[in-house]
Amino acid sequence: MALFAAFQTSLLLALLSLRAYQSEVLAEPLPLTPESLNVSIDSAHQYLNLQWSVHSLAYYQELKMLFQIQISRMKTSNVIWVGNYSTVVKRDPVLHWSWKSELPLECATHFVRMRSRVDDAKIPEPRFWSNWSSWKEADAQKSLGRDPLFLFPKDKLVEEGSNVTICYISRNQQDNISCYLEGQQIHGEQLDSNVSAFKLNKVSFIRKTGTNIFCKVDQKDVIKGIVLFVSKVLEEPKDFSCETQDFKTLMCTWDPGTDTSLPKRSSQSYTLFESFSGKKILCEHKNSCNWQVDSDSQEMYNFTLMAENALGNRSVSVLFSLTHRVHPKTPYNLFLKNVSGTKATVTWKVHPIGNYSTLLCQLDLLGEGNVIQQHNVSIKENGEYLLSELEPDTEYMARVRCADANHFWKWSGSISQKFVTAEAAPSEALDVWRNVKSVSGHPTVTLFWKPLSKLHANGKILSYNVIVENLDRPSRLEVHSVPATANGTELTLDQYSYQIHVTALNSAGPSPASVIVVSGDPGNEEAEEERINGTEDGFSVSWKPQSRKAIGYVVEWCDHPQDLPCDLQWKNLSSNTTSTVISSGAFRPGVRYNFRIYEISTERMANLLEKKAGYLKELAPSDNPQVVVSNLTSHSFTLSWKDYSTDSQPGFIQGYYVYLRSKAEKECHPGFKKATLSDKSACCQHRIDNPEQKTFVMENLQPESVYEFLVTPYTSAGSGPVDTFTKVTTPDEYSHILIRIILPMIICVLLIMITCYLKSQWMKEKCYPDIPDPYKSNVLSLIKSKENPHLTIMNVSDCVPDAIEVIHKPEGSKIQFLGASKSLTETEFTKPAYLYLLPAEKNYSGPGPCICFENLTYNEAAADSGSCGHFPVTPQAPPSQPGPLTSPENLLKALEKNYMNSLGEIAAGEASVNYVSQLASQMSGDKDGLPTNPPEPVHCSEYKMQMAIPLGLASPPPAENSGLSSTTPLDQSEHYR
Amino acid sequence: MSCQLAILCLLTLLLPLLSRGAPMSPAERITQAYNLALSMQENMSTLLQTYLQAQGSPFSDPGFSAPELQLSSLPPADISFKTWNALDDGERLSRVQGAFLALSQHLQLVGDDQRDLNPDNPILLAQLRDARLRAQGMLGNVAAIMTALGLPNPRAEDTVGLVPFGASAFEQKCRGYIVIREYGQWTDRAVRDLALFKAKYPL
Repeated sequence: MALFAAFQTSLLLALLSLRAYQSEVLAEPLPLTPESLNVSIDSAHQYLNLQWSVHSLAYYQELKMLFQIQISRMKTSNVIWVGNYSTVVKRDPVLHWSWKSELPLECATHFVRMRSRVDDAKIPEPRFWSNWSSWKEADAQKSLGRDPLFLFPKDKLVEEGSNVTICYISRNQQDNISCYLEGQQIHGEQLDSNVSAFKLNKVSFIRKTGTNIFCKVDQKDVIKGIVLFVSKVLEEPKDFSCETQDFKTLMCTWDPGTDTSLPKRSSQSYTLFESFSGKKILCEHKNSCNWQVDSDSQEMYNFTLMAENALGNRSVSVLFSLTHRVHPKTPYNLFLKNVSGTKATVTWKVHPIGNYSTLLCQLDLLGEGNVIQQHNVSIKENGEYLLSELEPDTEYMARVRCADANHFWKWSGSISQKFVTAEAAPSEALDVWRNVKSVSGHPTVTLFWKPLSKLHANGKILSYNVIVENLDRPSRLEVHSVPATANGTELTLDQYSYQIHVTALNSAGPSPASVIVVSGDPGNEEAEEERINGTEDGFSVSWKPQSRKAIGYVVEWCDHPQDLPCDLQWKNLSSNTTSTVISSGAFRPGVRYNFRIYEISTERMANLLEKKAGYLKELAPSDNPQVVVSNLTSHSFTLSWKDYSTDSQPGFIQGYYVYLRSKAEKECHPGFKKATLSDKSACCQHRIDNPEQKTFVMENLQPESVYEFLVTPYTSAGSGPVDTFTKVTTPDEYSHILIRIILPMIICVLLIMITCYLKSQWMKEKCYPDIPDPYKSNVLSLIKSKENPHLTIMNVSDCVPDAIEVIHKPEGSKIQFLGASKSLTETEFTKPAYLYLLPAEKNYSGPGPCICFENLTYNEAAADSGSCGHFPVTPQAPPSQPGPLTSPENLLKALEKNYMNSLGEIAAGEASVNYVSQLASQMSGDKDGLPTNPPEPVHCSEYKMQMAIPLGLASPPPAENSGLSSTTPLDQSEHYR
Repeated sequence: MSCQLAILCLLTLLLPLLSRGAPMSPAERITQAYNLALSMQENMSTLLQTYLQAQGSPFSDPGFSAPELQLSSLPPADISFKTWNALDDGERLSRVQGAFLALSQHLQLVGDDQRDLNPDNPILLAQLRDARLRAQGMLGNVAAIMTALGLPNPRAEDTVGLVPFGASAFEQKCRGYIVIREYGQWTDRAVRDLALFKAKYPL
């Protein structure tokens, strides 16, 4: 048993050994292990290029094989990529394969090995992998220089949005290196002690000159960098299409999209490939390509357009039939023929496309930019069409474009031509209205009409014809021609009815006549005015028909009622209309618009139906009336504003507010109520509801008080401005009485004063004559009554003058005399000179008692008497000539003469003359100054100093001299005897 | 317009070299070269700013400066005052001439680089062209001074051959920056050198 078991084991081992041997033998015939594996580095493109060979293909010419490749980084055990490469191996081949590294190959050492396996159907399975080749090293760092720092990859071109890995290699591990992308520091992953890698995700396009990435060694002033050229993404061509205009050339066009060109790198190129013919052309332009159509045999085309740049390509295809891509050339020779007012013929030509092709042409008629008519015409080469239903005197444009009639692809370009149709007579009658007024007793009709619209004028209006026909007295028609620029005319008519025809004329003829009948008698143009309210849309006007014969209605108003002319407007309405809305852009709030509704009779005569007035929107009055104050008494006054017009206000005046305020009165009068003004001051307000009441009496006022009042109108929108009050002061209660008394008194006094002034001479003589009449003296009556009833008045003629005292007194002494009374005592008097007119005997006895007067006129009287009085003697009169003075005549002459001279001398201030009465009393206090032998007066009743004082020096004599001493001599006086 | 004016100005400065009239004195030639150097100095900051703005960050960042970047094919303008002061006329002018020869060739290279990198920036390209013309003008002026002073005129060398052509775009940008920066420094030095000559050879 044990022996059997040992045999069995031996057999099993032998079988296993045989099996192993067989497998080796089976594999041996195809020892296809890759040989001579060589690895090189393409730094510019970051490729690892592998080259190897396969030997011992003794039994086969070629064999499909599969190679498995392993790539490790840094060390062989760090496999970063494993892949298969399948190819057909021929006898003694050298095989190539490349691997693109994401990490720049300079950044790390790479290792490559591979093994192979037959993958051909000629070799039965099972198939086994060959042994791995030995690891091959690819180390780019060895070839680098001795620089302290390197940065890879250099000048790499990538597409925007892709991921890029860069790295730096430092020769010194101690160096602290920082890297920046466009100024921003980037952080990477350290691959080994000298190498760091940076993965940049989705790099963006910054500029065509590239994106700078640089690293620098801190504190060593070492800087290294690379430029990453980021290209825009190559786009697929858009709107790719091809078409022909003549079946000879196909023009293919497309939108190339973004330009991906960069410095040192050309832009994308475009290639056109046609698959049916197998032709391929490189396009000269970036957005178009011309393809020559060789013959008519090829109907279908399948084009592929490929865009290509250094980073890739994009393609787009289009399949079409040539006959479906016909784009005709623009038509030419477009003309207009036989253009009338309503018709015109259009002709044009097209470029022929092929022998049998028909073109469909579209003819558009445009007016003012809009297509009015559109017609389709099928033609071969020449087109023609008759346009109708045109408007006269209108500018049109004919426009033609064409397309393939069988297979529409695109319209050709358009050709157009403008033209103007001929004129025709105006098609519609004028809209005419009239205004009848009386000027100097003659009815004057002003006709208005609205210009015809362009649609109805049918040409340029040259003039208007106005034909006037007298309906009452048939006579010759009056024809007026009105220039085209006018919109109306004025006719002066008689008191008859007239029918007026108005037509508009252009070069083609007149318009239909517009007929209106006016009567010379305006008739009753009055109607009660009704108020209407305006809205945003205008004024809603309605009326009641008066007769059934109306053929229509006319509403008349003025757009600018405050102006002259007021811009008369009217609106025609049909006979079955009884209301309308009048709207106008000229309507403004706060303006009163008056509407008149006329009924047009069958005789075409207009009769006033109704009048309306309204505001688009009522406004508050802007001004207050001018108020007049009258009947001012101490308790009342009257306000009136009768000049205020209620019709021309910005709203219907509903009444007035009368404001009154007074500092004296705190309470309001009856009829007033308290109101607060905008300035928060209080006052009293009275409302007048009648707009026509334009007076108001303020009553129950206090005398001698100040009142302020204001009158302001109000409308539905509010009242006028409450700003400027007018002050009124009530007079004193008795002042009127005083005025009645004082005034007449003042007048009387004035009259008396005037009378006195006028009669002053008379008054003087009566009241205070220069020479009082002794007979009228009161003294006389007093003496008579009390003392001596027989006392009589002495007659001047009874006096005989005995001496004349002449006093020469210089002006200076007079001043002294006037200025100081003591001079009378202190001054040494010069003895006066006396002219003794009578013998100076001591025993002389006069004829009796006498009275002397102090006046020259008195002396005159004395002269008249021929016997009495002193008289002055001028210094020129020598004392040796006393003779003539003795006679009364001579005396009189001398007196007259001396009087006149003395006046003149006195006026000169040289001398004064004192008349000394021979009856002067010795009772004078100034005895020393008196002559030693004065005449002894007898029975002199009284005396006065007779003194002529120069003007300006008149002064009352001192009191002590005013008594009895009339002969008080003055200093330096000369006395003549 | 400004470019045309600049070219006209350059031609005005260069024409005397070509004119067949009376030979200019050394002092006149020095003054002419000095004036050219001043005009180059005036345009320097504009050229540098235009260039940096067109290159993007970090070049266009405010206050950008990278003195560590050097180009071995360009003679450095920096020199100690003692050495500079001790230079004789021939050496002084030879150094200026050598520098502007290298600069004119490098400016041609930078212009070519920027034609690739910034083909859509005609202002920058025009300014680079003007700078190159001015550098060549300075070269001619210095040569004329050396001839007028009877100094030996060294043969022009090809300095561009030393420039690495396979530079990356970033390296090209850096190279352009270095060339323009050195162009400015050499212009400053030329102004100083020619001022010295003006003082030494007054009109």
